[in-house]
Amino acid sequence: MAEKQLTSILSFNIKDELFAFDTDTVRNILEVGKITKVPNTKEYFLGVINLHGNIIPVVDFRMMMGVKKPKDTKDTVIIVLSNDGQTDSLIGLIVDGVKEVSSFSEDQILEDTIIDAASGTLINITFRGTLKSDTEFIHIINQDDLMEEIEN
Amino acid sequence: MIDKFKAKFVEEAQDNVRDLEEALLLLEEDLNNRDIIERIFRAMHSLKGGGAMFGFNDLSDFTHHLETIFDLIRNDKLNADQDIISLTFNSVDHIKFLLSIGNIESEEDRKEQAELIRNISKYTSSSAPQQEKTVESSDSADVVDDGSKTYLITIVPDAEILKNGTNPLFLMDDLHALGEAVTISYCNDVPVISEFDPVKNYCSWQVILNTLEPLNEIKDVFIFVEDECELEITEIAAGNVLSHPQFGGLIEKARTEEKPLDKDIVLNIDFSGENGAKAAATKKKNIFKDHKISSIRVASTKIDDLVNLVSEMVTIQAQLTLYAENSGDPTIVALSENIQKLSRQLRDNAFEISLIPIQNELMRFQRLVRDLSKEMNKEIDFIIEGGEIELDKNIIENLTDPLLHIIRNSVDHGIESPEERIKAGKSPKGTIVFKAYYSGANVIIKIQDDGRGIDPEMIMQKAIERDLIKKDIELSKKEILDLVFLSGFTTRAEVSDISGRGVGMDVVKRKINGIRGEVSIESEVGQGTILTLEIPLTLSIIDGLLVTVAENQYVIPISNIEKIYSIADVKLSSSFNNIAVIDDKQYSYLNLREIFEEEDVSVDDSQLVLVKYEDKRVGVIVDNVIGEYQTVVKPLGRFLKKLENVSGASIMGDGTISLVIDTNRLIYYNDIQKYKNVK
Repeated sequence: MAEKQLTSILSFNIKDELFAFDTDTVRNILEVGKITKVPNTKEYFLGVINLHGNIIPVVDFRMMMGVKKPKDTKDTVIIVLSNDGQTDSLIGLIVDGVKEVSSFSEDQILEDTIIDAASGTLINITFRGTLKSDTEFIHIINQDDLMEEIEN
Repeated sequence: MIDKFKAKFVEEAQDNVRDLEEALLLLEEDLNNRDIIERIFRAMHSLKGGGAMFGFNDLSDFTHHLETIFDLIRNDKLNADQDIISLTFNSVDHIKFLLSIGNIESEEDRKEQAELIRNISKYTSSSAPQQEKTVESSDSADVVDDGSKTYLITIVPDAEILKNGTNPLFLMDDLHALGEAVTISYCNDVPVISEFDPVKNYCSWQVILNTLEPLNEIKDVFIFVEDECELEITEIAAGNVLSHPQFGGLIEKARTEEKPLDKDIVLNIDFSGENGAKAAATKKKNIFKDHKISSIRVASTKIDDLVNLVSEMVTIQAQLTLYAENSGDPTIVALSENIQKLSRQLRDNAFEISLIPIQNELMRFQRLVRDLSKEMNKEIDFIIEGGEIELDKNIIENLTDPLLHIIRNSVDHGIESPEERIKAGKSPKGTIVFKAYYSGANVIIKIQDDGRGIDPEMIMQKAIERDLIKKDIELSKKEILDLVFLSGFTTRAEVSDISGRGVGMDVVKRKINGIRGEVSIESEVGQGTILTLEIPLTLSIIDGLLVTVAENQYVIPISNIEKIYSIADVKLSSSFNNIAVIDDKQYSYLNLREIFEEEDVSVDDSQLVLVKYEDKRVGVIVDNVIGEYQTVVKPLGRFLKKLENVSGASIMGDGTISLVIDTNRLIYYNDIQKYKNVK
């Protein structure tokens, strides 16, 4: 076994900042279609969609990250992921656009990240770290925390 | 790979343990019943064998000691008594523990096992030297007559029998279905092909059948062909003699020579003695084999998958029907109707597979009542009616905890001590009845005890003490009893080991509501308490009423709906409370637009759906009623499970989603909660 474990990430943008999820957790990337509203939920909770017969809740990740009135473009997508692989945990997150899948090893993660969790976001989001790729920085989202945040 | 086998072993071992517990409870009633002792021994024996095979060495070793006791009992060297049964129950618990951990690792557990073994050895030590031997020879030595009989049946059908559409071979099949059978066919009379008439019968048969069924059962096989054949049924021996060597020889001879067995010769065979016993022993094993084939073991996840797939198919099929109707193409319409029929059958079948009898769980309750009553020095009869009732396994899983809690309560709070009961003029032995029966699409489960009942006064007091209600509030008796379902309510002053950790009936209620069930309580001081649970048969399919609110469609379960009114027939007033007057009666009502935080525009033709909530009726105002709709309820997943008003979703024929309204929760949170918040 190689001592360097490679992790594969899916990067996406919200406004012009890049973020990433762990590719292993991502199930689908969908166009934004009709979303059925669910009453009595938080503002960023847009509703549910039907994906292959499963009911998947959809949240606007842009709103969670503090974007006031996000506008859909042709690049806007729903990233469907399940953090623990269970169907029960499937959730769709709307982002401004996906960029690419890339790999990195854990020692490439920069510890000090400029994004301050508290600034402007609706939720208390945390990051596993930041990755420098070519000219850009990618912030890897701590999905466990994120899921917990949405659940509560 | 080996892990897979291990998992399988554990699963089967759990069945054995359950069987063991059941048998022990029976043995307690009937200490000398040999069948039960055999059953216990067998269950232990398979645990021991399997344990050793799959590396559960501690389990195997331990069960070996335990088995020895029952070996002594079945060989009349020891008498079963209460102490032995209690010891065995403790040992069974230990076996369960061993199954969960594999092999013992901690010193403490090791000590505990040694202690149990020491206790067991007290019974076995006196005859210790012969232990090994008795265990090894367990299967063949003492086979009892199992009550079966062996018959020789000679069937000589008329030549014309085939003309009536009778197939003699089916008769043989029917006979084989009755027990273990050997058929000999005689075809000597079949002519050469040129003279052969295909509609004539030329054959005759002899069947040697070993069966537990009475003679009449055999005669019934021939009930329609009695006049068309010569039939002779002779009882040749008690027990199974099919593999008796001498008899076997005769059969072989008859087969090769095509010369029918003579009943007199057969009757003259001496079937007694050791060989006969051995034959019976093989027969016993065969019973087990047959038994196993009649059902198969499937991982429950596979059944879940099947049910999910079927649900999905039902949805897609609805889309197809919609499309077919719109297309107007008669071929497609016919095809879709056929598929609809099939998928409905498939759905029913799949759901039936996921049903399991409550019986499987009842063992735990029986055990619980027994242990608790011993511990608290109470005498309790636990009576079960309707254990054969079947429920969806997901429902049963959710039902077990609430039921355990209710039964615990009955034992702990309900049934009085024998002295107290005698003082009250009751029999010293209390009774808890568990009754289950079907009622429409629901199953009703009642747990009734004849204990001290619940004193409404006391409930009021406690509720006031705990600040759950206002001091001077007036409540009906039923409303008072319902207070026990409020969270934070417990009646015992001190927290007992058994029930009353502050979480109580409210959890029961929540869990039952979670599976779309209802729970209610009735009680009479001094006479006892009845808890009634009303539970839907299956979780995933409901008949619903499709309604619209704002731009969304919602489904309201029909079983909760009493009536639908046009808003024009209803007088609403919301100046104080929301009150609707319908047919000179007042109901409180909820406006779904308001609850769902939709824009509050008045819709002209909105409708009021009158919904049942326990013994109340509450109006629910919706924009529009679309119609009845049978629907598969899908879970909303972990991120939406905290929703109060919506409990699931359903995919419509056109692929859109309707949310399923849980009226019980809707009313509980929006109406009842409001006025219960009296303080």
